[in-house]
Amino acid sequence: MDLTLDRVTHRYGDMPVLKDISLRIPAGRILCVIGPSGCGKSTLLRLIGGLERPDEGQVLQLGTPPPGCLNPLTYVFQDFALLPWRSVAGNISLVLEDHGIRGPAAETIIDDVLARTKLNDFHNALPRQLSGGMKQRVAIARALAVNPAVMLLDEPLSALDAQTRELLMEDLVALWERAPFTGVYVTHNLAEAVRLGHSIAVLSRRPGQLRELIDVDVPLADRQPGDPQLEALQARLWQLMKDEAMAADQELLDV
Amino acid sequence: MTEFSRRGALVLIGGAASLPMLGTPVLANTKVNVGALRFTSHAPSFVAFERGYFADEGLDVEFKFFQAAQPMAVAIASGDADFAVTAISGGLISLAEKGATKVIGGALSEEPGIDGQMILASNAAYAAGLNAPSELNGKSFAVTQTGSSFHYMGSRIADAYDADVAFKPLQKVGTIIGAMKSGQVDAWTIVPHIGKALTGAGAVQHIGMVADYIPDYQVTTVFTSAANAANERAKSEAFLRAFSKGADDFNAALVDKSAGPDAEAGMVSLIHKYVYADQPLEKAAPSIINGAMRINKDAALNMGSVTDQLNWFKAEGLVKDGITTDTLVDQTYVQTI
Amino acid sequence: MSDAARPVPFRGGGFRPVAKRGAGLAVFVALLALMEWGTRVGWISNLTLPRPSDVATTLIDLARSGLLWTHLSLSLSRLLAGSVLGITTGIGVGVAIGLFSYVRAGLIPLVAALFPIPKIALLPLFVIWFGIDEGSKYALIALGTFTPTVVSTYGAVDNVDRTLIRMGQSFGLSWASIVRKIVLPGALPGILSGLRVSIAIGIILLVAAEMLGAEYGIGAYILQAGSLYDLERLFAGVVILSALGVLSSWLIGLAEKRLLRWRV
Repeated sequence: MDLTLDRVTHRYGDMPVLKDISLRIPAGRILCVIGPSGCGKSTLLRLIGGLERPDEGQVLQLGTPPPGCLNPLTYVFQDFALLPWRSVAGNISLVLEDHGIRGPAAETIIDDVLARTKLNDFHNALPRQLSGGMKQRVAIARALAVNPAVMLLDEPLSALDAQTRELLMEDLVALWERAPFTGVYVTHNLAEAVRLGHSIAVLSRRPGQLRELIDVDVPLADRQPGDPQLEALQARLWQLMKDEAMAADQELLDV
Repeated sequence: MTEFSRRGALVLIGGAASLPMLGTPVLANTKVNVGALRFTSHAPSFVAFERGYFADEGLDVEFKFFQAAQPMAVAIASGDADFAVTAISGGLISLAEKGATKVIGGALSEEPGIDGQMILASNAAYAAGLNAPSELNGKSFAVTQTGSSFHYMGSRIADAYDADVAFKPLQKVGTIIGAMKSGQVDAWTIVPHIGKALTGAGAVQHIGMVADYIPDYQVTTVFTSAANAANERAKSEAFLRAFSKGADDFNAALVDKSAGPDAEAGMVSLIHKYVYADQPLEKAAPSIINGAMRINKDAALNMGSVTDQLNWFKAEGLVKDGITTDTLVDQTYVQTI
Repeated sequence: MSDAARPVPFRGGGFRPVAKRGAGLAVFVALLALMEWGTRVGWISNLTLPRPSDVATTLIDLARSGLLWTHLSLSLSRLLAGSVLGITTGIGVGVAIGLFSYVRAGLIPLVAALFPIPKIALLPLFVIWFGIDEGSKYALIALGTFTPTVVSTYGAVDNVDRTLIRMGQSFGLSWASIVRKIVLPGALPGILSGLRVSIAIGIILLVAAEMLGAEYGIGAYILQAGSLYDLERLFAGVVILSALGVLSSWLIGLAEKRLLRWRV
């Protein structure tokens, strides 16, 4: 299933946040969205997932979701959004219960996604007992449980420290290698974008417009930290964004 | 037996009509706080104040007004008031037991021939057969508080018929009136000026008189702090003398009606300054006249009635068993009946 | 400045409450001992305070006579019936205010108007509406516990993490599932801490409720002791009420421990 954005414009009150954005998100590939802070990256993701309605333009689905898909457009949030009163397994079963999946059927799915995210030993743990990285793994496992057509990742690694971030990036790559998924990955971290994006959309500062769309040809599995080609790409992205970021930083916050 | 002789002397003096005025007051400008309710039964104090009897005795009186008898007893105990007139309640007896208060004289009394306190039934209970106090068995009876004079009256009336009565404490007279009108409680006793107004309006039914069950009922007494009674004899006697003069004027004008219509009108307008002051005089006058009950001459105290009341409180377990009439009453001040 | 090495002076410490076990009990015991000594020596008059040992004797006598259980069972049933009624409707209305904009707009002003009314003032009216027997007592306690429960409940619902609700929506959970599995458990800590206040108010109102037409009950017992100026019984009654307060607070603490184990 592909997604297409057709000249999407969005405002909060009188303030335009996104302007005239057209994008194609092809199946089986990860699109990274980067841009200076406040450029509307997260808003764009909410529009794609249907949590908000665009003021102008539209978001279109092409094709049907794959069979067995419970929730075609599934988010992974920056702050994990786990229910603190449910165990790891309970948080995953939460999104299955409404589809009538309970008991052994649910257990099979839960065991599978926990295995894929290396969480087997934490089946009954409560969120407060887990580190940040583990919590985000649970959130990813929960997203995988509904077998999504598109994963919408909203700065999923921003709340984590650098080492954990590195480990989770490797995990995400491994997950994709095992079963390629469609992803929209919003981040302000250029290294993550270079590491995980099949293509990278660069947004300008507010109101966010699409400045450039860059394809990265290196297969995900071959991308290593310190790769000169990727370093060069990251430097180029920084050049693109630097002025925008400086200007955005000096804007008065009268939102 | 000096006490006895002193009492004897007082009896002699008291028997001779009103207490004789001494040439000059023994006391000069003694500050005295008098606790009072805005009831007609407190009129002697108002009369003594308005007509200068307190001033003649050298007492500089200031009234402290209360909403109920109970806080007045506490105010005497705490020293916020020096003298007050109120019914004998469990609270008053308990305070006397703690050595805080003393009864030194009598005031309001039930007397044959003068309309006294009435026994009332709610319209609903009356319709259901409560048309005489003999039908009280199984009924509810309104009282302000456990151990109040209402409780005593209701209990004595019920005793006369071995009736089983449920006493409902409702705290305030106003609340009781509401509960009687709406039939939430079955029976009550109340002073005539309130009772006559209620029966006159058809809101409740009159089924008997308290005096038939508690003859010679000493309804209210004059009391003061134990310290005043023991150590401030001159002040306490001066208060009783002035109070008695006020009572004589009151009895003559409104109870015996021996002083003529002008005196009655003058007395009503004097009392109106304190009682029903929020109503016009024409409207208040009948209530004031209806509410007039005998105030004992020379503040004489009916010890038989006081003893009966005390015994009832003890029998009900409301006050400690060890209390005697001597704990409650200082009998050296006035004539006892 | 000399070159000799000196330890850096310590400037931290203090300003941090440390749990000292038994301090509360010690203060309590010391106060009681002072009262006992003062009343025995006569330094405190028997008009001011009762002797603690006499209060204890009164309590024991009350328990022996069996009247304690009459008073307690009546008061507890009033407290239970009234507060269960007030708290369940309070939670229901509070959740509705938290969830529905129209209910919020319609009811918050009403609740704000009801909250500051001294419920005791309405007692005579309640007697007319609900009768002088148990009805008016239940109603008074119910109304008294209702308003604080509503306020704490909708506050708790408002404070439920919006990202959790957004998460529920993003996974396509039904409205009922979001309310049952996300909003209500998320509001539970706030609701439970609100209950502490509501039940304390219920106990306060118990005395008020038993002002009118109650022959038995802890509140009636206290009021009777007050009107008889019987300080021993007055304090005995107050001790029972305090014990009720401590007991209810302990029970809620227990419920919090069981239901909110997931909290940090």
